[in-house]
Amino acid sequence: MFRAKRRTVVTVAAVAAVLLAGALAVTLTAGSGQASGVTYIGGDNSQQVYSAGHRALAPDFTGTSLTGTPIRLASYRGKVVVLNFWGSWCAPCRAEGPTLAVLSEQYRSKGVSFLGDDVGDTTANAVAFTRDIGIGYPSVNDASYSIVQDFSRVASVGYTPTTVVIDRTGHIAGLVIGKISFQSMTTILNDVAASP
Amino acid sequence: MTDVHTPREQAAAQGEETVSFGITETEPDATGSGAGTGPSAGWLRWGWRQLTSMRTALVLLFLLALGSVPGSVLPQQGSDPAAVQQYYASHPALAPWLNHLGLFNVFATPWFAAVYLLLFTSLVGCVVPRTFKLAGSARTPPPRAPRNLGRLPHSASFPSSLAPGAAVDAAAAMLGGQRFRLRRPASGDDGHWVSAEKGYLREAGNLLFHLALLGVLVSIALGGLFGYKADKLLVEGQRFSDTMPALDEFHPGRLVSGSDLAPFSLTLDRFSASYLRSGESRGQPSDFNATVTYSPSPGAPSRTYNIRINDPLSVDSTKIYLIGHGYAPVFKVTDSHGNVAYNEATPFIPANTGTFLSDGVVKASDASLGFMGVFVPTAVSVGGTLESAFPADDFPAVSLIGYSGNLGMNSGAPQSVYQLNTAGMTKVAGSPHLMLPGQTWTLPGGRGAITFVGVKQWVSLAITYDPGQVPALVCGMLALGGLLLSFLVRRRRVFVRAVPAASGSGSVVTVGGLARTDASGGFEEEFAELAAELAAQQKPEPNNQSEAGA
Repeated sequence: MFRAKRRTVVTVAAVAAVLLAGALAVTLTAGSGQASGVTYIGGDNSQQVYSAGHRALAPDFTGTSLTGTPIRLASYRGKVVVLNFWGSWCAPCRAEGPTLAVLSEQYRSKGVSFLGDDVGDTTANAVAFTRDIGIGYPSVNDASYSIVQDFSRVASVGYTPTTVVIDRTGHIAGLVIGKISFQSMTTILNDVAASP
Repeated sequence: MTDVHTPREQAAAQGEETVSFGITETEPDATGSGAGTGPSAGWLRWGWRQLTSMRTALVLLFLLALGSVPGSVLPQQGSDPAAVQQYYASHPALAPWLNHLGLFNVFATPWFAAVYLLLFTSLVGCVVPRTFKLAGSARTPPPRAPRNLGRLPHSASFPSSLAPGAAVDAAAAMLGGQRFRLRRPASGDDGHWVSAEKGYLREAGNLLFHLALLGVLVSIALGGLFGYKADKLLVEGQRFSDTMPALDEFHPGRLVSGSDLAPFSLTLDRFSASYLRSGESRGQPSDFNATVTYSPSPGAPSRTYNIRINDPLSVDSTKIYLIGHGYAPVFKVTDSHGNVAYNEATPFIPANTGTFLSDGVVKASDASLGFMGVFVPTAVSVGGTLESAFPADDFPAVSLIGYSGNLGMNSGAPQSVYQLNTAGMTKVAGSPHLMLPGQTWTLPGGRGAITFVGVKQWVSLAITYDPGQVPALVCGMLALGGLLLSFLVRRRRVFVRAVPAASGSGSVVTVGGLARTDASGGFEEEFAELAAELAAQQKPEPNNQSEAGA
């Protein structure tokens, strides 16, 4: 009588342990799940495009540009905004700078505004960077990464540089993690700029 | 695996009634060849039983402790990668072998995880059946009193003035008053007896110990899955928000992503280090104090705090420790056209932690200038070489070697901020150049100029979040409590039987006692006292008490 009972107990314990071990193994090996409505360009996770209805609202911010003028993201509503997180100390940012400068000229007529978010920098270094690389669009001073912190809550802004494309309604339509390429940006921008 | 019985207890168990302690002593034979199961099932059961045995759990626990030894003796990649590189440099032959065994990253190695998971499984497999058993045993009343109590390890007998029924009633009342669990014969049953049992807390303590041990493992796993550790270097006056790109190093748990970071922001207002100015330990630090202003979340009101060694700042459940400090000389670099290309407090890394002689680089990419420098807080010349005499910034100076040309940063390959790639650069004439605060070095050939503006200090902060820390402490204390209970409490049974006395009036009462033999002693005394108390309670006219005890 006791033995039969014990056997059930052992079986229950075994099943419980196996389930537990399995759950643990799954949680240890599984990466974070990928949300639906996301397209990954180029096979890796570095370029993401969110289809309409799956776009997070970009957190609004107010700040001061490197030249001292106030900047507010909400004032760009109705335009497509390319928000580039960069720093003068960051080598990939220096490398992608000229491409961004060219793109900002090309897409101006299509209602696309470019905006920089300068992180972990001093104003003097940042101004020298924009002068040297030839960046014509404004950058907001974000030395303390506070705007990055807000964006990291809604999108995978976890690396410098990261470039976020915000649609006309103020939602995040796509982003490129790391150095942008001309092609990756035009793919996203043609798509987002075409829609009203 | 099974408990060892003494011959006496076995003899007692041979009585008509079951006098075993139920569950803990009815461990069935572990042959695993139960009827109707195939050989593979038998092997599985055998393996499971081996894994969940106490011996295996102890061996695994020992292995876990043994495995942690290299983790605390050798430098670990996760906590101090620089120390690992240093170890490689000083032990070029041994280090690769240690690396093959994963000894530089012990807590992430498969063998460590295997031991950990096996121990976890072993404990679960041991504790879960025990829980069921305890629940069952807690419901089970004590066994019927054996017929011959004289055969029990402890027994006593005395005459009572009461009738058998009344004598047993009185004994039961007394035992019940001493918080024994009682069992009386069912109606229509033979004889007058009572069974009493005490010490259920022993098994409960044992169980608590096991469950708490499991809790410790779960807590550690919690820390590993949901905790994180990050480092941030911050210069006086700088502010940073706790987000991944702002951190210098980030070691997240398995299930942590960047958006899980505590959303605080923090400014280093001031850092001060005090050093002993005289005596044998001159130059030793006497106090570190980092004054910070922080805001727990965006928009929340700011507060100030003094972070000291062993006095971290707590923001929600995140702790911010002060783990290092150094000097950040402020440099201003102008390019060949006189434009400011660089103006920044540049953290230099102490090469000598006693004197704070420090190394660093200045990268003015936009002026095509780079500098490698040595900073000394208290400059002295030792045979023409710049040295530091004291760790405080009493007489700061820098010595710079200038380079002009392409720093290679525009190619996009990430660089260390503490290293200058001079491959495509030429050394500036006049290097090395010694500078005091406020001095400017105008580079030859109209290449520009560099000014040593002043000196700030930096601190290195460790930001840690370990959700398992408090549960691990609580579970550790519970485990200790459970262990004490299981050591101090004895499971013991007392039986009382009464039969009519031969003389016709009164009765003869027999008391029997049984205790776990592997428990600490003392039951003999307890039994003797109990028996004496019972005898005194029902004392007949002439004192005719028999000896008590085994």
